[in-house]
Amino acid sequence: MKILALDTATEIASCAIIQEDKILGEINISFKNQHSVVLLPLINYLLESLNLTINDMDGYVVAMGPGSFTGLRIGVACVKGLSQGTNKPFTAISTLDSLAYNLAFNDGIICPILDALRDNVYTALYRFEDNKLNRLTDYMVLSIEELGVLLNKEDSVVHFIGDGSIKYKNALLDLPLKFSIAPPSLNVVRASSLGELGLLNLKVGKCEDLFTFAPIYLRKSSAERELERKAGL
Amino acid sequence: MDFLVNSEKETENLGKQIGVQAKPGDIICLNGDLGCGKTYFTKGIALGLGIKDYITSPTFTIVNEYLGRLKLNHFDVYRVHDIEEIALLGFDEYIFSEAVTVIEWSNLILELLPKDTLEIDIKKEPQLGDNYRRIHINPSCGKYDYVTTLHTKL
Repeated sequence: MKILALDTATEIASCAIIQEDKILGEINISFKNQHSVVLLPLINYLLESLNLTINDMDGYVVAMGPGSFTGLRIGVACVKGLSQGTNKPFTAISTLDSLAYNLAFNDGIICPILDALRDNVYTALYRFEDNKLNRLTDYMVLSIEELGVLLNKEDSVVHFIGDGSIKYKNALLDLPLKFSIAPPSLNVVRASSLGELGLLNLKVGKCEDLFTFAPIYLRKSSAERELERKAGL
Repeated sequence: MDFLVNSEKETENLGKQIGVQAKPGDIICLNGDLGCGKTYFTKGIALGLGIKDYITSPTFTIVNEYLGRLKLNHFDVYRVHDIEEIALLGFDEYIFSEAVTVIEWSNLILELLPKDTLEIDIKKEPQLGDNYRRIHINPSCGKYDYVTTLHTKL
């Protein structure tokens, strides 16, 4: 089974063509958020380099969020168009799951952090158990302080990964934790990781509906935002 | 600080001086009644940023984007000022970036505005004449100190 996976939810535009046992090709570009301009040429280039056409794809995987609102919509719109045009199914995988998967088989807590602006982050907690990625919490939008309170109860080492771990590095250093921050080469949402998780869905026919599927944006409630405003954030 | 102007050119000129000195991440809140000159002021800001495009009112598009010395995001939230809808546009990604953002009718979305903005209020002065405007400029913090250099000389 050959699938095309793509993600534009962060600063990186990423697309990959993979099969069960290997990545055939992957391109990751971080270029001033011109995703709507570069995405289709990137996909085209990938296909041409592999001597494939879009009809050779058996399905598609896209990031469902959280992440940049406009970025998510660019990716989802593109995949919906490809899916409808080629009459092949698509599935969606969380950007946080995909990031956590970049640290496959690590012991301890895996904590992907994506910048949500206004000193907030998108995050969730994971462990690898029985060789599988296990999500321990809901997908959340929190301040770094709130994340610190959550992690306070953990004894294990925490592995941070994602653009938020760079942006809020100083705040993380203040937390009383044993932790690591992923190196730059692992610190990106990669279409190949997204695709590997999505392929599992596509193989068992777990697909999204073309007309009803929408990204997960994860916004704080207006009550929470009002509290933050009063606190002068 | 207050300026009294008597023509569109003077309004535009004030905007141009701001555009020349604007820094990445500046958020300019433009308030005032219909027809007071908010879009003229923004044309001036665009000129100051070296933008050659024709600036039109974003009343229907909600936001227009231009590329100059800095990117310019030009919002008009008069038509759609529901907080959730504006937020879902990706409002935060526009304002917390290296671009200069101008928001017409920002008074309608106060809840979404951060603390450090440059507030500009434009009022008509009908007792002085149809073309007169009083332009009140209020920098909320040090990063907008460049407004102290503004003048109305054409």
